[in-house]
Amino acid sequence: MIAAIPSAVLIGVDGKQVFVEVHVSNGLPGFTVVGLPDTAVRESRDRVRAAFLSSGLSWPLRRVTVNLAPSGMRKGGAGLDLPIAIGVLVAAGELDPGAVDNTAFVGELGLDGSLRGVPGTVVLAEALGRYRLIVAAASGREARLGGGVIRTSSTLGALVDRLSGNRPWPEPGDPESDDPVSDPSTWTPDSSPRSSVSSHSGQDLADIRGQRLARRALEVAAAGGHHLLLVGPPGSGKTMLANRFPDLLPDLPRSTALEVTRVHSVAGLPPAPSGLIERPPFRAPHHGTSPVAMIGGGSSWMRPGEISLAHGGILFLDEMGEFSATVLDALRQPLEAGQVHVSRARGSTTYPARFILVGAMNPCPCGEGGAPGACRCGSSARERYARRLSGPLLDRFDIAIRVDRPQVDELMGRGHAETTSAVAERVARARLRAVGRGVTVNAELEGSMLDERAPLCRDAARLVEHEVRSGALSARGLHRVHRLARTVADLEGVNGAVGESHVREALLLRCRRELLLGSEVR
Amino acid sequence: MAPKTAPMTVPIAALSDDQTHAATLASLPGMTPVRLSKVLDGFRPVTALKALRAGIHPGDPARKFGAAARKTDVREVEERYSRARVQVLLPGRAGYPSMLLGDPGAPAVLFAKGEPAVPEGRPRVAIVGTRSATHYGRQVASDLASELASAGVVVVSGLARGIDGAAHAGVVRGATEGAAPPVAVVGTGLDVVYPSSNSELWSEVAARGVVFSESPLGTRPHPGVFPARNRIIAALSDVVVVVESHYAGGSLYTAEAAARRSIPVCAVPGSVHSRASEGSNALLVDGCTPVRDATDVLVAISLARTGRDMEEADPAPSDLGAASQHSVSTLRSGSAPRSTPGSTPRSTPGSAPVTGGERHAAGRSGVAHQAHGAHLEHLAMTDPQRVVWAAVDDTPTAFETILIRTDLSIPAAAEACQKLVEAGVLVSGAGWWSKK
Repeated sequence: MIAAIPSAVLIGVDGKQVFVEVHVSNGLPGFTVVGLPDTAVRESRDRVRAAFLSSGLSWPLRRVTVNLAPSGMRKGGAGLDLPIAIGVLVAAGELDPGAVDNTAFVGELGLDGSLRGVPGTVVLAEALGRYRLIVAAASGREARLGGGVIRTSSTLGALVDRLSGNRPWPEPGDPESDDPVSDPSTWTPDSSPRSSVSSHSGQDLADIRGQRLARRALEVAAAGGHHLLLVGPPGSGKTMLANRFPDLLPDLPRSTALEVTRVHSVAGLPPAPSGLIERPPFRAPHHGTSPVAMIGGGSSWMRPGEISLAHGGILFLDEMGEFSATVLDALRQPLEAGQVHVSRARGSTTYPARFILVGAMNPCPCGEGGAPGACRCGSSARERYARRLSGPLLDRFDIAIRVDRPQVDELMGRGHAETTSAVAERVARARLRAVGRGVTVNAELEGSMLDERAPLCRDAARLVEHEVRSGALSARGLHRVHRLARTVADLEGVNGAVGESHVREALLLRCRRELLLGSEVR
Repeated sequence: MAPKTAPMTVPIAALSDDQTHAATLASLPGMTPVRLSKVLDGFRPVTALKALRAGIHPGDPARKFGAAARKTDVREVEERYSRARVQVLLPGRAGYPSMLLGDPGAPAVLFAKGEPAVPEGRPRVAIVGTRSATHYGRQVASDLASELASAGVVVVSGLARGIDGAAHAGVVRGATEGAAPPVAVVGTGLDVVYPSSNSELWSEVAARGVVFSESPLGTRPHPGVFPARNRIIAALSDVVVVVESHYAGGSLYTAEAAARRSIPVCAVPGSVHSRASEGSNALLVDGCTPVRDATDVLVAISLARTGRDMEEADPAPSDLGAASQHSVSTLRSGSAPRSTPGSTPRSTPGSAPVTGGERHAAGRSGVAHQAHGAHLEHLAMTDPQRVVWAAVDDTPTAFETILIRTDLSIPAAAEACQKLVEAGVLVSGAGWWSKK
């Protein structure tokens, strides 16, 4: 007898539907899997057989052939364990084919017959949207984000009982169901609880003493989606500032939240409590990170890199000068395109990668940044260090500022600093203005759109012209200042043309190469 | 020698006849401290006023003051001083600082607000410097003053802008149990607070210590009063510390007055790039003792006091005394080659950067206008620009630092910095600004 069970496998960040065809025939007992399975799939033979025995099901002592169709595509992952097991049961006549009519299965089997979730359940569920989908109880929340009718079970034995109609599907509050959602039938992602402030990092901007300029830089970067570079000696609070950055950003819009959730699901990261990742992710890879880990790829199993895991949020590169030049330069194209195309011999895939890059680095190898008396680096060493950030990469940063150690008076604290929520409110309002301009954030305003969508007032234009004439501003720098000034104006709540004071502040915040050369320059 | 028992506070309400008459004389139109000394030389104030009124005073051969003296009502003056709670101190009477007795330039009348006995029996240090100080200078002045006061040293200064104010602010800020109270000598009348931005500090100093002036009530600030005030600061002190001084700056008067009195002069080293340190660095080249912190100053004070005690205990004839005095000051303060007691500094060759002549020239044109100040007069700066100008050093100053020092908003500070760069008085680098 033959059975064909729908299931899906991951290709990049997309789910691809496959059919698991099982044929049980007379002959010497045996179990073969064909159709380009990878190692994990081939090993599923042993897992499926053991799970059968542990669940009290009888293994057919006949010849079992499994084909994964379409057979030309390479299939990986352990999510095919469950459809294979179901296929064997149906083909062996243990389960009525009507019980699995129009039903897809995704899940990994344990030797004890338990059902386990698999990475990428969100996108797999999307690919199987037209079927009733059965997944491990642990994946229920993720699967529901993908849509369709979802049923869960935590063991193979219980699943078979339910499919045969011997047992009801778990009801809400059932201990077998670890699904937090009250009513699975009416649950839709839209009614998911909004992530509240309490679910944030718990670190507040108010904890930071002084650093008014750096705070402002964070605010402007958050409001305009500008990439931000912090240069300063160790202990000046660069990391502290960066850690507080994500909380300034508003919740992700639904479409981005889905993208982020998919990428995280594909990478096998633990899902958010509500299933959907609504807060901008914050990724801070170590400077030893390899190009593949940063960009994505991998020889046997394609995996999204750090830049894609930071999609919709922040990629924080601490000690940026210590990253290898290959890794840093690999960032350039994704920074421009907002996505990354990874090609390998076995295929290619595109991952989303639109993030705010926050870099932090010391101004020189010893960290003191040329402060007279404190810095032990020669000028050539400083220059070499500064060159680690190539010109094109440095050009991507709209904002770059010096962060110095706070002074004693500030540490001992006078007055209260603004809290994250106060700043986040301004940021949210400013972002709304950018949306009215037809872009998500001002950083997306291209040079050609600037004059039309973000005009400068006469005084501001004159000031910019003066800066360009005096050679202080290049053509590229001009656009950068223009964009930044628009964000500053948005933060001030200015609807009309960008004013002179906004441009002045932008001039202050803009990124300049000399910043990396320390303060001894004269 | 200083009396062992400090005199009691002079009761404020009751001014003696001599005191009221001395105040009246000082308040006569056209009266200066120098003329007042002449008028009171050998006369009691009561007698002197009578003689002036009668036009028979030998100190006033031109009978300049006769008419004014006849018009002035002594009771009215007395009431004004009582109301202002200003004490009138006369040499040799209660309250007059003992270290001014015997000083060649001792004021014939000294006005005081606060407790005039403060300097008595305590070590005293003058902390002086330029009015357009850098942040570095103000910081050093304030730290030095605060630590010295805590160590029981009376800090004497001029309550001016810049270093003087910073020193007094340091004393007030660091006031702990047992700290020495501050002493100020101002050039204006004790009812005229100058600069007005220091008014809070002014009353604080008067409340905790004492503010002296030789000018009568109502005297407005004018260039003449400040160099004269500086000699009193020097005369009141065991050691003079110059924190920052421009080339030919006014605080060099204090240094010179101190050197003339064999009072050791110390100077705080500054950056050779900093114009605010040109004068003080020149003092170091001339051989003044460099000081880095309060300990250095304490050492200088104790050396000065032991040296003076030895001289006073030494009954040797004056020739020998003068020689030893000379060598003591040479060795300990290095200030001597330019001036032995009684000699004029002008006659001393070989001290090029700060010769008396140049300083006097600067004095005539108004001590207030030092290099930077004069340069910026015509700029017509806005308020934020002025504040930013004061906050930027001669060495690169980070924007965050400017923010901290000025307390301006980010746009305001950015605009002020950029405008000052456009005006050509600041230079900017990546994230920093400095004076040109």
